[in-house]
Amino acid sequence: MTAPRLGPSAIWLLLMIALLTGCATTRSETPPRTLPPPVREVLPNGLRLIIQEHRASPFVALQLWIAVGGRDERPEERGFAHFAEHMLFKGTETLGPGFVDQEVEAYGGRTNAATSNDYTFYYLLLPVARASRGIEVLADVAVNSKFDPEEIAREREVVFEEMRLGEDNPRASLGRRLYGVLFQGHPYGRPVLGDPAALRGATRETLRGFYKRHYIPEKMTVVVVGAVDPDSVRAIARRTFGTFPAAGQARAAAPVPSPPAAPLAEVVARPERQASLGLAWVAPRLASADTPAVDVLAHILGGSRSSRLNQALREKARIVSSISAGYSALEWGGAVMVTAQFEPALQEQVEAGILAQVRRIQDTGVAPDELERAITASEAELVFSRETVEGLAVAYGRAETVWTLENERQYLDRLRTVTREQVQEAARRYLSAPYARLAFQPKARPQ
Amino acid sequence: MRRSVAGSAIATLLAGALLAVVSLAGGGRAAAVEAASGPSPAVKTRLPNRLTVIVQENPIAPVVAASLFVRVGSRWETDENAGITNLLQLLLVKGTTTRSALEIAEATERLGGSLSASADPDFSELRGTALSRNWTALLELMADIALRPSLPADELEGERRVTLTSLRTRQDQPFSAAFDTLAARLFGGHPYGRPVLGRAESVERLDRAPLLAHYQRYYRAGRMVLSVSGDVSGPAVLAAARRLFAEAPTGDGGSDPVLPRPTAGADRTRVARASAQAQVLMGFLAPPIHHPDYAAMKVLSAALGGGMSGRLFTELRDKQGLAYSTSAQNPSRVDTSFFFAQLGTAPANATKAEEGLAQQIERLRRERLSAGALERARMYLLGQFALDRRTNARLAWYHGWFEVMGVGHDFAERYARAVRAVTVEELHRAANTYLGRPTTVTLGPPTP
Repeated sequence: MTAPRLGPSAIWLLLMIALLTGCATTRSETPPRTLPPPVREVLPNGLRLIIQEHRASPFVALQLWIAVGGRDERPEERGFAHFAEHMLFKGTETLGPGFVDQEVEAYGGRTNAATSNDYTFYYLLLPVARASRGIEVLADVAVNSKFDPEEIAREREVVFEEMRLGEDNPRASLGRRLYGVLFQGHPYGRPVLGDPAALRGATRETLRGFYKRHYIPEKMTVVVVGAVDPDSVRAIARRTFGTFPAAGQARAAAPVPSPPAAPLAEVVARPERQASLGLAWVAPRLASADTPAVDVLAHILGGSRSSRLNQALREKARIVSSISAGYSALEWGGAVMVTAQFEPALQEQVEAGILAQVRRIQDTGVAPDELERAITASEAELVFSRETVEGLAVAYGRAETVWTLENERQYLDRLRTVTREQVQEAARRYLSAPYARLAFQPKARPQ
Repeated sequence: MRRSVAGSAIATLLAGALLAVVSLAGGGRAAAVEAASGPSPAVKTRLPNRLTVIVQENPIAPVVAASLFVRVGSRWETDENAGITNLLQLLLVKGTTTRSALEIAEATERLGGSLSASADPDFSELRGTALSRNWTALLELMADIALRPSLPADELEGERRVTLTSLRTRQDQPFSAAFDTLAARLFGGHPYGRPVLGRAESVERLDRAPLLAHYQRYYRAGRMVLSVSGDVSGPAVLAAARRLFAEAPTGDGGSDPVLPRPTAGADRTRVARASAQAQVLMGFLAPPIHHPDYAAMKVLSAALGGGMSGRLFTELRDKQGLAYSTSAQNPSRVDTSFFFAQLGTAPANATKAEEGLAQQIERLRRERLSAGALERARMYLLGQFALDRRTNARLAWYHGWFEVMGVGHDFAERYARAVRAVTVEELHRAANTYLGRPTTVTLGPPTP
């Protein structure tokens, strides 16, 4: 959640999903018809560089992706990936705290960062004339961040405020906690914001140790999209990121989560008057052959206004004020999630209604028109994301970090081959297993 | 994520209530602004029935976006019918004489796009996007919705319930509850003091007859602005608009309401509410969009609470760790507007946070900004403005919005020039003119 404006574009939604749910939904990607293909290069130290010429606006998106996230933390480090992300803007050996914000905003740009279970990324959005300076600054924060003890103490309070803010937002909180219920005992079940005790215990040594261990060229991808000349970008990247010594290490794999053996349920009392319900099933990981079919399934189930759940529960039965379904494909596992908001007395009816729609797809499949609309929606999402440099950069950076660039670019073509039978089969295979249920119920109010 | 969630929390929570609160965030350096608005300037045409059409040809991606603005919003409402514009907008997309709600939803999805309707204090908007190969079908669908709505009675009941739920949800959300209280304290009986959603009492009473009358009075060609941007041909879009909107009723439904001048409460209100964070808001009345001081107030809001290098972020978050979200905003309004600073913090820090906000505002009145700080605020404002006008949806929105707000579809350049021309002296004078006695709202758990 980060856009200081209305009309969230693809990137803002994506950023929001990245932190709130610890991952982003699968997005499709093939080369835009008017764009040259991206240039991909692996530097001798293992760092990956992706450059895309995109001359639609005078801005350039510079992104640094790190293959580190909540899942890579040791028990005493819970929350360090996200805390370290904050600290990268608090000064380097040569740049003062807040310098990046000030310099970027002084040139009319924008900067931010996000942490999920699978990755951490930083971005600068700058007038293209500032591209080389931007790459230098990114390279500096990537390895020379200072982790000043006083700054750590202050920023820790900011992170605690971020936790409180998330708690006050029922939808954000529902999404985050639902992961916890579904992926109990798996790294994906841990909150990205971390554990307050671990954060209180963080010192310069432990936090900086985490940073030094994970911010290595083998885990970095630099993405540059904009009105740039690839050769000069390559030269600057080699001169900066290219000088980092290789650490000779690769990222550890995570276990593939299995569906729960029995239904999992949790009820939380909340201050709101509306109730919320989240249901989640374990779904295939990003690299699975089933990913496109599950993507289409989630869309037909609850990804649009004409979707099954929206029509049945909101428009016809009128028992929910909002409902949606989505598929989050993470590197090692995925989740199909349904969330709904409604009047507290209706919870059982809402859950039964959701399950009835799931069963209908399992029993009788989906219509040709539904399949077609789902594929059109994915195509549109892809095409609209190309309007901005950051839209493309996020797709490339994420793919390179948790998937492959080629997979990302071919995804829409794979999606187009999905059949009705595959969608029905995916519903049977993945939505028949025991699921996780999280209910938010209003607590008695004093007023 | 480290950026203040304020921006998007505000945007999301207030959607519909404060549509333009953060638009006009800025604009970039001159070159950026010009280049970002596309290869050729947008063209404005008045049709014979006085409907305004604006088209921007922009081939950056094979997509198209269209916004149909109608110059009617909650400013035209009274306590008795508060929320009628918003409810009408929701109902428009629920059925036409030839399409059901489901058919409208399916048609939109077949175009590879989206469609939504919303109301604001100063206008209403029907917004659509599509893959550009479907641009004619998108405009046909939007014209059908705007000109031939059936306002189905059963859908009215559903949308009424949705609205009542949204009103309750707003009260459940700490920031929006505090914000609504601030608006009421600042504007008193002026319609800007009410949420665009209306009041539960009025929404419960609105039935089809007054909605139809509201529609028939205001949804007229003279009040409509259709703005299109995308990979399309300008003349072809204009010809289609002429044909599709030819039957829009002529006229403009009479003169606009004459409203009382708002008087800010200049007081302090405390709302007791169970929440993890306490919210502190401090507001002032501010000039409207067409006022000579408008640009100066935008620059002041950027200097105080624009982005992560504004004073609130650097002083209260970076140096004191008092907040995750903090910002200052100056929404754009046709009538008297407002300026506010906001911060969310741990309940134990609320008093310190309030003092901090007050000090930073007082500092704007006491000290002149340095040349460097002025330049930073200007660059920030213009940069965000340019960044916000890159997609076709935003281009269509801005052109149509400027037009319906009465400053002309090509206001962007004039606004950017005005921001660049603002001086330190003008800012100092504006701060002392408008940022005098604050109206303060705090929200948080009851103190034991």
